[in-house]
Amino acid sequence: MRARGFKRGGVPVDHRAPFKTGPIENAFLPLNAIVQLREHRNSVEPVPVVSVGQEVREGQLLARSTGRASSNVHSPIPGIVRRIETTRTPGGFDSKAILVSLEGSFSMLGKRPERYLWKSLNKADIAHIVQDKGIVRVSSGEPLYEILSERSEAPGFVMVVSALEMDPYRRTEEELLALRAEDVVDGCAIAARMALPSRIMFAVDESMDQPTLEPLRELAARSELDITIQRFRRRFPQDLPGQIAEAMDIVDPGTLFIIEPSTLVALHEAVVSNKPHIEQYVYVGGGSIKRPAILKARIGAPIGDLIEECGGFSGHPETIVIGGPFRGREATDLDAPVTRTTRAVLALSPEETKSAPERPCVRCGDCVDACPEGLSPYYMLKLLRSGRPGDAEAAGLGRCSSCGSCSYACRSRIPLVRYFDEARQNEVRS
Amino acid sequence: MKRSRVELRSYPPFIHDWKTSAKAAWICSATLVPVAFWSSVLYGRIAVLTWLTAVAAALAAEAMASALTRRWTLGDGSAVLTGLLIAAAMPPGAPWYVPAASAVFAILVVKAAFGGLGANWMNPALAGVAFAYANWPTHMRDYLLPRFVAGVDGVSAATPLTFAKGLAGGLDIRVMDALRGASYPLSSIDGAVTGFLNDSLFSRLSARLPDGYIDLLIGFKPGALGESALVAVALGSIVLVSLRLIKFEIPLAMLTAFGLLSRIFGTGLPGESFLAGDAMFALSGGSLLLVAFYMAADPVSSPVGRGVCLLYGASIGALSFIFRRWGAFAEGVAYAVLVMNVTVPFIEKAAASLRLRRGRVA
Repeated sequence: MRARGFKRGGVPVDHRAPFKTGPIENAFLPLNAIVQLREHRNSVEPVPVVSVGQEVREGQLLARSTGRASSNVHSPIPGIVRRIETTRTPGGFDSKAILVSLEGSFSMLGKRPERYLWKSLNKADIAHIVQDKGIVRVSSGEPLYEILSERSEAPGFVMVVSALEMDPYRRTEEELLALRAEDVVDGCAIAARMALPSRIMFAVDESMDQPTLEPLRELAARSELDITIQRFRRRFPQDLPGQIAEAMDIVDPGTLFIIEPSTLVALHEAVVSNKPHIEQYVYVGGGSIKRPAILKARIGAPIGDLIEECGGFSGHPETIVIGGPFRGREATDLDAPVTRTTRAVLALSPEETKSAPERPCVRCGDCVDACPEGLSPYYMLKLLRSGRPGDAEAAGLGRCSSCGSCSYACRSRIPLVRYFDEARQNEVRS
Repeated sequence: MKRSRVELRSYPPFIHDWKTSAKAAWICSATLVPVAFWSSVLYGRIAVLTWLTAVAAALAAEAMASALTRRWTLGDGSAVLTGLLIAAAMPPGAPWYVPAASAVFAILVVKAAFGGLGANWMNPALAGVAFAYANWPTHMRDYLLPRFVAGVDGVSAATPLTFAKGLAGGLDIRVMDALRGASYPLSSIDGAVTGFLNDSLFSRLSARLPDGYIDLLIGFKPGALGESALVAVALGSIVLVSLRLIKFEIPLAMLTAFGLLSRIFGTGLPGESFLAGDAMFALSGGSLLLVAFYMAADPVSSPVGRGVCLLYGASIGALSFIFRRWGAFAEGVAYAVLVMNVTVPFIEKAAASLRLRRGRVA
């Protein structure tokens, strides 16, 4: 089977940092869970249904969805609601957060998980569960209920189960494919029953080994679904929809519905075990983490706790990043909580960031070579800086996917993608 | 509405490629060190002095510009590189004020006055060299024989290019043989190596390598400091290309165009006929290689797009050929690059509008 890849630009990510493999451990329960109600800039805040001082059970509804772009939020731990207040998130937007202090007994932990037979459920039943349990797509933070029902209204799309992790660190999706292949394929079948894709494609890394792929292939064959497994070349940003479509020679990336194994696992647990989205697989790593590992953490746990569980820092990290090294956000402090979209916590050493003072553009053309969309980032920035946003738009600013390859490659360390993001935010506002 | 500069301290991506513009300049400079060393071996103290003066003057000028603009830029390595490149273009015997003034002119007038690194529209080093040629034409054309050829320091001689240009065009022998016929100096090393190559290799292919090419390669001939180690320059260019520090399309197109034109039309030297010019002599003589890899391919003053770079490089090659073939002086590569530097905005604009038009049609 030939590995496919996008055609131009990108950044090589051949080196992969080692981490502790094997069964994924549960992180310690946080004494205080800070449950952030909004996942990203565009999500609508759900309305809290608990009050300060109230006792909550594990998995009890904390805030109710208001409809579009908002999802139910549940308590990750049993305890007392201490505070409900608006805070600034690491993503740079404001969100209400509910602080729950650990107290009382667990209803889920340590108990045998419930196991419902989902095969008898119909589309509406599944939709109800997905909405009720507040499942979000881990990669984007959008309510899964919403994107699944949107897809089901426009058939003829390909569901891409993407285990592509195009950075030197995170291996969560690959590990889930290896360790919980059955649940992933089952989750896939559940999602397929609701969204009705024309076919399903598992997108895996070219470096994925046969012992992992073989059981997956068997499960796929047994599943009565139209599942193919496709290898992709290891190059950032192969994991973006545009680049997956390009590699598959598909013209419209909109015909791809991309979902990750971790989201499918959450979906599976919601449907089969009646469990709300209160856990998240987090890769904790980077050159300044002593023992990089994947942890199954509760939502609201401070990232500092996870780092401590991985042996703490080795050396002095230059920056702590939530999410990937290419598109993540810098954590302002170690109390930043895990959310349903926190896929990685990275403590990066100066050797990894290779940061340097910003210098003027030397027209080396490295950004042009790196751009997977075939744009001329240096030229677009020149136009923006000389106050010509219209010309920058004509030069292709709208086609920029904010992947960050240009900023990665820039030898003058100009944060090109930041200027592009800002320009487009201004565009929206004006 | 102008939005405030994002409230985040840092912005993704958080990891970067190893390359920085400063590292690139320092690596370029480092690849010139062997050249500086070899020329110092060849010419002794005066060569060392020229290298040091040029670099020191460039650094001083950069420091002055830094002080004026309150932006400390000495660490970006570009000043040292400019100094080294200016020294490389100097004849060994040039008085100290020639490299010094050229370096100051390059840094202050050509670079700093237009806004410092990245804003100069001409290669500073080449502009500095042109400045020297304009101000001290005699000093800049007064070359010395290396001590190993002359036996003593400080013997003046014409460069092979200049000497060959002065030879009568009607001679029917190859240029190197013509040089020998005019008793142009030849080192004993060249005689030995060429003799060995001819005996062991070329005679079997019924060919003959004329004496003198080895001298060109190892700098046993009069020439600028940077021309004294063609082998080191070639090795340095391999480093630059393999680390992808320069746009290799430029030197590639430039040398190809120059070599082809020399082969087709001849270089105006003895012993040539149509389609049988001495391209080897043309390519290995003078500063062509150094200028191609270190100056023409300077990112700041060259175009960015790959296709445009090919056009740009080929134009430099063609212009160099014209200047050398029919110009007043033997060396014209520097002017060819400077001329093309000036045209970069125009050819880039033309290329952009062409792309846009094509894009709209498609």
